[in-house]
Amino acid sequence: MWNNISTISYYTFKEIIKSKVLVNVLILGLLQLLVTYIAYSFTYGEPSRVALDFGIGTLNLSAIGIAIFMGVGLLSDEIENRTVYMIISRPVSRSSFILGRLLGLLSILIVNIVTLSVISLFLYFITGGDFQPLILWTIFATLLESMIVLIIVSLLSMLTSKTLSVLLTILIYILGNAIDAAKLLEFVKIRPLLGHILDAYHFLLPGFYKFNFKPYLLYKQNLSIEYLTTSIGYGLLYAIGLVFLSLYVFNKKDLD
Amino acid sequence: MIEFNNIKKVFKSDLLTQPFVAIDGLSFKIEKGSITGYLGANGAGKTTSLKILMDFIRPTSGEVLLDTKYFKNKNDFFKKLGFLPERPFFYPNLTGREFCYYMGKLSGVSKSKINEQVIKWAPKFAIEFALDREIKTYSKGMLQRVGFLVTLLHDPEIIILDEPLSGLDPIGRKELKDVIRLIRNEGKTIFFSSHIVQDVEEVCDSVIFIKSGKLVYQGSVDDIISENIVLENKVSYELDGQTHIEMIKESEKMNFLNDLLAKNANIISVEKKNPTLEEVFYNVE
Repeated sequence: MWNNISTISYYTFKEIIKSKVLVNVLILGLLQLLVTYIAYSFTYGEPSRVALDFGIGTLNLSAIGIAIFMGVGLLSDEIENRTVYMIISRPVSRSSFILGRLLGLLSILIVNIVTLSVISLFLYFITGGDFQPLILWTIFATLLESMIVLIIVSLLSMLTSKTLSVLLTILIYILGNAIDAAKLLEFVKIRPLLGHILDAYHFLLPGFYKFNFKPYLLYKQNLSIEYLTTSIGYGLLYAIGLVFLSLYVFNKKDLD
Repeated sequence: MIEFNNIKKVFKSDLLTQPFVAIDGLSFKIEKGSITGYLGANGAGKTTSLKILMDFIRPTSGEVLLDTKYFKNKNDFFKKLGFLPERPFFYPNLTGREFCYYMGKLSGVSKSKINEQVIKWAPKFAIEFALDREIKTYSKGMLQRVGFLVTLLHDPEIIILDEPLSGLDPIGRKELKDVIRLIRNEGKTIFFSSHIVQDVEEVCDSVIFIKSGKLVYQGSVDDIISENIVLENKVSYELDGQTHIEMIKESEKMNFLNDLLAKNANIISVEKKNPTLEEVFYNVE
């Protein structure tokens, strides 16, 4: 099983790399350099914070973008193009297929995140920034967040159309980032039913706000190790749960 | 070796549409060492039943039985199977050779064995010149050839091909049919679907006809021809200075010839007409 998973993930990685998706990452990196330079020229006081702000922002956007737009075709394109038939007509289980595909795209996400993180940190350090452990937590949280988005979009693409999957994933991502703040609104507080609906939503769908360490990083505020590990643990468990759900759906699905 | 046992497949897309019965109580057997053509018009249910056989979709009722004499379990079946889907489309950014390594590795074949198999089969498919090119540059015929090539990499015992000759030019069809004959001579079991009767007649020794998801006929090609045709003779003769040609049934041949002789007609020729499977197919339908 592990041999098949590694073979599928290796060739998924190779196929995507050869599709020149990383050229887009490099272009993003160059844009990041340019924008940071321009912002640096107009900023007084803390240029390193500007570099880090742009860096983490670009990193987050590109990781989520890749996860959504590559993830939506990860399984549905395979079914549409019948390439999946060539694979699962061999001694390869459906579970190995889906895990291999997910790991292949996850490798692309890691390459993207590492590339842009190196550029961001390079700019941050040369503009006088000093090392904070929270930088690494933030980068890892971005990877985890994009991984969850990737699994959500690929799961939805098995259940509905590609366009709807993308739209729903973007909606889930936005709501997942805003739900914590929404619960604090006076409008919600005076309407208990709405509060319960938000709680139910929060219970089922991912609370992406938990991975947003950026404001603390930029303003050099401390986050307790308990908060960090709980957030990352929540993300990992959520991702594992989604993988099991994807395996269940894919194993039950008619590949028609 | 493989048995379809009363398979039924009903598709129901949503609450408002009527269910569509794609396969309706289909039963047949694939025997070891046979080369069987799976015939039916477009939409007859060939691809759907193959998908059920491959476990891509599940039947509404019925089951596919695998003979435990040949296959220990489902996984063993897939190890011994080579399958080529209809209108294959592969990873466009991989080269043909990379695709061979990918598929070969998934079938548990070593790189050196894959290379050996590629050297053996690629020239027969006339595809060796393109193996180091990216698949996105391949024509439809080339996709079909590389698809067939990867189907054979692990030296499967049973080969299932879904419309392997569709969309190929005459030369491509001949080359692929030659390969099918070659595989047959190695004692493999081959099962291939087609809606082109002539292709099946040329390479198969048995045939399965389906129509609207139901079995119409299963048996040898020779048997179906002899069971379902009315033999005819083409008789050419001269009478009263004029040449005539008539088609006469075998049962009426002697009486007709005696009549002609009684009229002093000059019988030029009597030719027995050999029917094709295609003509029989239309009669059976």
